[in-house]
Amino acid sequence: MMPAYYLEAAVVILGLVLMVMEAFVEKADKSLIAKMGIVGLLVVLVSLFFVSGPAEGDDAPIWSFYAVDPMALFYKGFALVTTILVLIMSLDYRSVLQHYMGADQEKPGAGIGEFHYLPLFTCAGLMWMASAKDIVSIFVALELVTISFYVLVAFMRRNVGSLEAGVKYLILGALSTGFFVYGLTWLFGLSGETELSKIAAALGNDDSAMVRYPKALLFSLAMILVGLGFKIAAVPFQIWVPDVYQGAPTPITAFLSVGSKAAGFVVGYRIMEPFFANHVAPQLVTLILAISGATILLGNLAAVAQENFKRLLAYSSISHAGFLLLALGCSSSTTSPVNVEGVMALYLGGYLAMTLVAFHVMCLVRAQLGSEDLSAYKGLSKRSPFLAGVLLVAMISLAGVPFTAGFIGKMYVFLMALQSRYFVIIALAVVGVGAGFYYYLKVVRAMYWDDAADDQSVQISTLSKVAMLTMVALIVILGIYPTPILNLFAA
Amino acid sequence: MITLNHYLFVSGLLFALGLSGVILRRSLIVIFMSLEMMLSAANLSLVAFSRFHLVDGLPNYNGQALVFFIITVAAAEVAVGLAIIVALFRARQTTSVDDITSMKY
Amino acid sequence: MNTDYLPILVQFLIAGGFAAVTLLISVVLGKTAQQRSEVKDQAYECGMLPIGETQPRFSVKFYLVAMLFVIFDIEVVFLYPWAVSFQEFVRDGVWVAFYSMLGFVGILFLAYLYALKKGALRWSD
Repeated sequence: MMPAYYLEAAVVILGLVLMVMEAFVEKADKSLIAKMGIVGLLVVLVSLFFVSGPAEGDDAPIWSFYAVDPMALFYKGFALVTTILVLIMSLDYRSVLQHYMGADQEKPGAGIGEFHYLPLFTCAGLMWMASAKDIVSIFVALELVTISFYVLVAFMRRNVGSLEAGVKYLILGALSTGFFVYGLTWLFGLSGETELSKIAAALGNDDSAMVRYPKALLFSLAMILVGLGFKIAAVPFQIWVPDVYQGAPTPITAFLSVGSKAAGFVVGYRIMEPFFANHVAPQLVTLILAISGATILLGNLAAVAQENFKRLLAYSSISHAGFLLLALGCSSSTTSPVNVEGVMALYLGGYLAMTLVAFHVMCLVRAQLGSEDLSAYKGLSKRSPFLAGVLLVAMISLAGVPFTAGFIGKMYVFLMALQSRYFVIIALAVVGVGAGFYYYLKVVRAMYWDDAADDQSVQISTLSKVAMLTMVALIVILGIYPTPILNLFAA
Repeated sequence: MITLNHYLFVSGLLFALGLSGVILRRSLIVIFMSLEMMLSAANLSLVAFSRFHLVDGLPNYNGQALVFFIITVAAAEVAVGLAIIVALFRARQTTSVDDITSMKY
Repeated sequence: MNTDYLPILVQFLIAGGFAAVTLLISVVLGKTAQQRSEVKDQAYECGMLPIGETQPRFSVKFYLVAMLFVIFDIEVVFLYPWAVSFQEFVRDGVWVAFYSMLGFVGILFLAYLYALKKGALRWSD
C-alpha cells in the first residue's frame, strides 16, 4: 500500500518524462508518445486499487488538504479512464491535426507531440481535484485543468475555428475563474478557514460570521456556483459551449465534455455539501433547481435544430448537466437509501462511456470522411457496421432507453426528484427527455435509413475497436447492474 | 481609521470595474486586462480578510498563501492567453471580439 | 486621520517634482548642444523608433521572450516564503522542505530545457 498522492505524482512525472523525450529524441515517432502515455496511465489505473489514506495517527500536513475517500478514488479512476480514451482518440485524429499544423514533408509529426502528453497534466489536475478538500488545493487543481485546456482547445493553430474556440474558452474560462475565486475569498473571509471540514465545523457555531451574515454567505455561494456553472455548462453560463465544442479538436471536445464536467460536479458537491443542512439551504436549493430546470429545457430544445453532430452533442452535454444539477439539488431533501453521491457517480460513469464512444466515432468519421455534419453519417451502417453499431448503443443510452446506463442514471435522478417533490422540474425534465429521443434518434435514422453519397468505408485500428467495445460493454453492464457503483458510496 | 469594510468596498469596486470591462470592451487585450483586475480584486479582499481576522494576534496567513497561488496562476493564464491571442492575430489580423464570428448558430 | 496620509502626499510631491526637474534639466542642457543629427534623434540604446507607422508591428519574438520571462519570474513568489521558513525546518530536522523545493526547481529546469530545445530563446533565425 502506498499513499494515494503518489498517483498524481506518477502522472505528472510521466508527463514530464514524455515532454523531455518528445523534445530531445527527434527520431521518435510522435504516436509513440501517446502509446507510452496510454501504457503509463493503465499502470496508474491498476495501482489505484493499492493506495491508502493516512495511517492511524499520521497527521502529515498533506492530509489536511487531500482527501482519500470513495468519492476521491472513484473520480481518480474516472479521470484516468477518460484520459486513456482521449489519448487513443488523439491517435485516430492525427491526420486532421497534421493538416492544420502546417506539417512539412520532412517532419510529418512536427508540433503534434504536445497534443499527446498535455492531456496527462490535465489528468493530474482532475485527479487532484477529486481529492482536494481545501480551498487552495481546489483552486490550484481547477486551474491546472483549465489552463491546459486553453492550450489544447486552441491547439490547431492553422485552423481559425480552433483558435476562435480557444479565445472564447480563454475569456469565459478566465471570467469564471474570477467569479469562483471571488466566491472562495468571501467564504474564507466569513469562516476564517481554508479547509472545507473546518468551514463545515464553523457552520455549527452560532458566533461564526457565516451564521450571522447569511446574505454574505449566499453571495459567496452564488459566486462559486456561477464559476462552476461555466465549467459544467449550466444555463445561463452555457454560451461558450457550442462554439468551443465545435472549434476544438474532437478528442479535446470529448475531454472537455466529460472531464471538465465531472470535475465541476465533484468540486461543487464538496464545497456545497455542508450548506445543504443549514439555514441557507432553502435559497441555495432554489437557486440550483432554477438553473437545473433552465439547463434541461434549453439544452434539449436547442439540440433539436442542430445539423452539426458536434454542436448537437454540445447541447446534449448541456442538458445532461441539468440532470446532474437536479440530483445535486436533491441533496438536502432526499431520504432514499441511495445517496446523491452515488447517483451522481452512476450518472457520470454512464455519461463518460456514451459520450466518449460518440466522440470516438466522430474522430474516425472526421479523419476519414472529412466532415462533422450529420449528413456525413448518412449510410454509416454500410460504410462500417461496427461504427454504426457502437454509435447506436451510445445514442440510445444518451436518449435513455431502458437497459442502458443512460436510463438507469436518469431513473435514479427522477426517483430522487419525486421523493423531494420537485414536480415542476420533473415536468420540464420529461419534456427534455422527449426532445432528446427525437434528436438522438435523428442520428440513428441517418446512419441506418439514409443512403451514403459514396461507398467509401471507414478503417478502424484494433486499439480503437477494443476501446469502443469496452465502453459499450460498460454502458450495458451499468444499465443492468448498477449496484457496484451505488454500493461504493453507500454509507 | 480604515476598516475591513473600506477594503471590501474597494475590492468590490475593482471587481465590478473588471466585470464591466469584460462585458463592454471589444478588444481582446483590454478584456484580458479586465479579467486580471477581477483576480486582483479577489487578492485585495483576501489580504484584507487575512489582516483583520487575527489568529493568536497574528494575521490569518492561510488567506495570504492563497494570494500567492492566485498571482502565479494568473501569470500562467496570461502567458497562455497572450500566446493564443497572438496566434489568432496572426491568423486573422484582428483582436476585436466583433470579428470572431466564424461559427454561427 | 489626515496626518496619516502626509507621507503619501510628500511622496507624490517628490515623484512629480523629480519628473518635472529631470525634464527641465534635459531641456536646459539640450539647448547647449545646438546641432542635431540623425544619430542623436534615434532612440537611446533600445526601444521603438520615434518616427514611422503609428502602430508598429513587433516581432513575435518579443512576446515569446516576455511570456517566458513572466512564467519563470513569477515562480520566485514561492521561493521567498520558503526561504524565510527554511531555517526553522532545518533546525527541526525536517528535510522535506529542502527536497520539495528541489523538485519544484527541477520541474522549472525541465521546462527551461524544453523551451531551449524548441528554440524559444533563439533570437536570430
